[in-house]
Amino acid sequence: MASGKANDAVFHIDPPPAAKKLRELFYCAHMVHSHIAHFYALAGPDFVMGPTSDPAQRNILGVIGKVGLGVAGEVLKHRAYAQQIQATIGGKATHAACALPGGMSRPITEQERLDFVEKAKSCVEFAKFTLKLFNDVVLANKEYVDLILGDIYTMKSYYMGLVDANNKVNFYDGDVRVKDPDGKEVAKFKPADYLQYIAEHTEPWSYLKFPFLKKVGWKGLTEGKDSGVYRVSPLARLNVADGMATPLAQAEYERMYQTLGGKPVHATLAMHWARLVELLYASERLLELCQDKEITSPQVRTIPTATPDEGVGIVEAPRGTLIHHYQTDEKGIVKKVNLIVATAHNYAAMDMSIKNAAKGLIHKGKAVTEGLLNMVEMAFRAYDPCMGCATHNLPGQMPLEVVIRNSDGEELTRLTRNLR
Amino acid sequence: MKTLVLGLGNPILSDDGVGFRVIEALRDRLDPGQATVMETGVGGLGLLDLLTGYDRAIIVDAMQTAGGEPGKVCRLEPGVLESTRHAASPHDVNFATALELGHRLGMALPREIVIFGIEVADATTFGEECTPKVRQAIPLCVEMVLRELNGGVHA
Repeated sequence: MASGKANDAVFHIDPPPAAKKLRELFYCAHMVHSHIAHFYALAGPDFVMGPTSDPAQRNILGVIGKVGLGVAGEVLKHRAYAQQIQATIGGKATHAACALPGGMSRPITEQERLDFVEKAKSCVEFAKFTLKLFNDVVLANKEYVDLILGDIYTMKSYYMGLVDANNKVNFYDGDVRVKDPDGKEVAKFKPADYLQYIAEHTEPWSYLKFPFLKKVGWKGLTEGKDSGVYRVSPLARLNVADGMATPLAQAEYERMYQTLGGKPVHATLAMHWARLVELLYASERLLELCQDKEITSPQVRTIPTATPDEGVGIVEAPRGTLIHHYQTDEKGIVKKVNLIVATAHNYAAMDMSIKNAAKGLIHKGKAVTEGLLNMVEMAFRAYDPCMGCATHNLPGQMPLEVVIRNSDGEELTRLTRNLR
Repeated sequence: MKTLVLGLGNPILSDDGVGFRVIEALRDRLDPGQATVMETGVGGLGLLDLLTGYDRAIIVDAMQTAGGEPGKVCRLEPGVLESTRHAASPHDVNFATALELGHRLGMALPREIVIFGIEVADATTFGEECTPKVRQAIPLCVEMVLRELNGGVHA
């Protein structure tokens, strides 16, 4: 979707309103299945089974064993609903190719719309159920709430995300808003101006760059107001926005901040809660768009006539802000590309979150168990990272190495997984 | 028997697209109604939606093993996936977990699943062509799938 918007900019074309709505509908469906998968398959096991539970059980199968097969059926059903909506619009759910410069490849029919309405209604109910499950399993457990709000998973940083004209969260379009660690707006800019606000630091030891706020500057891996490190994510989006644009999600948004002590929330594990507030928003917005009279309009594309040259497209991917920037020749052949994906924006913050968790959990004389290492990994998992996208490298697995040193820097233990 | 032949992969990542290429080559070789053929870029839980409703599934995918010889085609059954339970994507579960979940839910999954894995040389470079040894393996894999469809025995 970021690519589609960047192409609009490259070709200097503004898609018709129905095309924008159809793209947003498609994108909300994407958000629904991605957030469902992250909560139930990736984050859920840590909370439902427990952070230090047997790793053989700490997976989606363990979760299902505990919450029941009925819930599993609902998880798969709603993931499939969202993917079917995407496949109907885009030909296929993954790697869809429906966003063309100036609009969409085809409109949807009234029959398709009616099918979407039923699926979206069901997604709203399932999102409500999921928030209730989070409430019962996580928030009702004081140990978990303490863990979420504790120092080891807390990091003060700037936040970035897209907001609409009313400063409400928007996944598809709007301005990029940045807030400081105290919650004060420090920037709000159009996608095309991103280079005035973001620069990318490099280190010789990493394939991945470290984006930072240009006006604050790169001060290394340090947190707080003087460091240009910022975060994107569901929590970042909620932190920079004034609220949610749909009623049920707005109520959950208010409950979340009330429970966690007001805005902004710096608790990394609160990303899971924010993700579920967004699941509800994406479902509600999906339903709104399906019920919009204009959504079946045949006017879904304006054919571009200008000479292509350069353009930027920004959307909110499930895990955070996604920037595509292309430069082309006069035939539209791409000459230069810059992509800043969510995991790159979060790179410095993820490093620091892992360090904070490791420092807080690993102490002299305390055995470094698998459960303890999983708790370190939880700091990383909250970001729903994709190192493949961020490094443009696809090793097909997640190699991990943990080196335990004493305070003099001497190596005590080295644990590895999937290292060649 | 309702049969699905499913090619997995990413058609713009060199050898990772070999599943797609096998399906393309297979399409014209099938008798009408013999099997449904399909290519997909989805994995994990998404595969359950595609597999549901078939009695038999033949999956063709790229494979990378330590010291594997590019172009080698292996016939596998889902049981062997138990030992390689790393997720193909950090955003989803792996195929073995998805299958187990589907079975526990009582989904109408194929009773028989056979996987043809083709050892790859390069599945990370952008490109619509497979590398030479993997390209050469495509006709062989097509024959193996046809033999499987016709109830043949593999060495």
